[in-house]
Amino acid sequence: MAALSVVCAGTIFLYLLRESAPVFFAEGSGFLTRSDWWVGESYGAGSMIFGSFMVTGIALIIILPFALGGAVFTSEFLSPRWRLVIKSVMELLAGVPGIVYGLLGMSMLAVWVKSGFGLIDGNTIFTAGLLLGIMILPTIITLSEDALRSVPGEYRETALALGLTRIEMVWSTVIPQAVPGIIGAIFLGMGRAMGETIAVMLVIGGLDKIPAPWFDVFQAGQSIPSKLGREAAEAIGSGLHWNALMGLGLTLFLVVMTLSMAGNMFLKRVRM
Amino acid sequence: MKREVVEKSALGVLAILTGTGVLLLLLILGSVIWKGGPALSWEFLFEASSDFGNAGGIYYQTVGTLLLMLGAALISMPIALGTALYLTEYTQSETVKKVLRNLIYSLNAMPTILFGLVGYLFFGVFLNTGVSWLTGMLILAVMILPTLQVSIQEAIEGIPEKYRETGMSLGLDHLAQVRSVIIPHSWHGMITGVLLGLARAAGETAAIMFTATTFSGILLPQSWADPVPTLQTHILVLAQDAVNSAALTKAWGAALILLFIVFILISFSFLLRGRLKMEAEL
Repeated sequence: MAALSVVCAGTIFLYLLRESAPVFFAEGSGFLTRSDWWVGESYGAGSMIFGSFMVTGIALIIILPFALGGAVFTSEFLSPRWRLVIKSVMELLAGVPGIVYGLLGMSMLAVWVKSGFGLIDGNTIFTAGLLLGIMILPTIITLSEDALRSVPGEYRETALALGLTRIEMVWSTVIPQAVPGIIGAIFLGMGRAMGETIAVMLVIGGLDKIPAPWFDVFQAGQSIPSKLGREAAEAIGSGLHWNALMGLGLTLFLVVMTLSMAGNMFLKRVRM
Repeated sequence: MKREVVEKSALGVLAILTGTGVLLLLLILGSVIWKGGPALSWEFLFEASSDFGNAGGIYYQTVGTLLLMLGAALISMPIALGTALYLTEYTQSETVKKVLRNLIYSLNAMPTILFGLVGYLFFGVFLNTGVSWLTGMLILAVMILPTLQVSIQEAIEGIPEKYRETGMSLGLDHLAQVRSVIIPHSWHGMITGVLLGLARAAGETAAIMFTATTFSGILLPQSWADPVPTLQTHILVLAQDAVNSAALTKAWGAALILLFIVFILISFSFLLRGRLKMEAEL
């Protein structure tokens, strides 16, 4: 039984490696750096890789104040009853299906972004980042809250006995102790954001190009999972196009696995 | 005085930041109910969809989602239980424990679209199950494995040592110990894990959209090899293609039902948990 779960994880990696090999032979390192994806001619995944990191970055920048502020407040200032309320709310939020987030993003968020920033089309990299931020809020808030809670009570008592106010106590004693856990939480949240497919697919616009200038996030873009979600069904078994999509899958796999390993190490859940 | 002002204002800011999270949930719930509510009726729940989802109900889609998630949980349950028992009761090797733990967490962090891609290659092509109900169940079973396994393992690890010792002093062997001590005292972890796993499977779209589902034409699978319609993919197709508001209203209605299923499952798991260990933590 236990062996079966090992087989599952191993199979995924081996299949991705085997199926994507042809595109790496055909395109070389250009697969990762060029951004010309013309089915049947050339496969450069640069714009998808750029899009993935961009939406994840935007999600983090937008949501971190809320996630970290929420974690600190929940862990240090709320009564146990209210803590339970916040944690339950976060669990429900984490359970909202990606497709429901997608529907909300498509028919509400995209419209707000469009009118709020005076755009022609609301389906942009920014919209996807904003939606992803909301989606990874529960992960970051719950895990960083746990990291803060695990700081021993004596530190707090000592700080208070020295005459610090509660905010000063939290800022100068509790948070520094919890930093590794919080970093771990952020890494795992990034992994989540990087791999989300459906919601991003519906709001990112689906255009395989790096915006010019690159920091103009109010243009349509593409992330790796959204590309996979759009094209995988039609490309199954169709030669190099399929191999190229699997190459994207392998890239995604490696990035997310690195983030998850690093996150779990910071959270001390696993040791290498 | 200045310190008090800093204290008060900092607390205020933190409270607002925290409140935003709660507001988000209310906003999401509110929007889905507001937009999907008008679609709800008995006909919507118990009729087949027609005219490419523009008319009719979502009966077969709901049944399809339930079939997929129940099948996945049934397949995943014995594997998760076996893994958890092996890790807690049988192996002594720290290396094995470490490797398995790493793998379970990696599996949990895996983007779900990859389960779809590789699952289709492995089950659909290699084992020749095609685009079918069976393929979907198998893929989802692998996907929810970590949720079930972690939940069961925590329940087993939470069993007080004295129960185990009592069992041993009665001369129980490994198997009897597992059957009469471990499993009876960790059933709540199993149920919790299954509920959360079901919720995860119900909410998943990317892994099944091109491996197990069909949009229209098929009512219910007549065999293992038939695809099923699901709520998730129904919403996806309506959301992508819909130009008229009637279809979008149907999509919101389906989203409301899906959200309802997921929230019911998660709420039941709250009741079962003595200790708050969150799915979001995984």
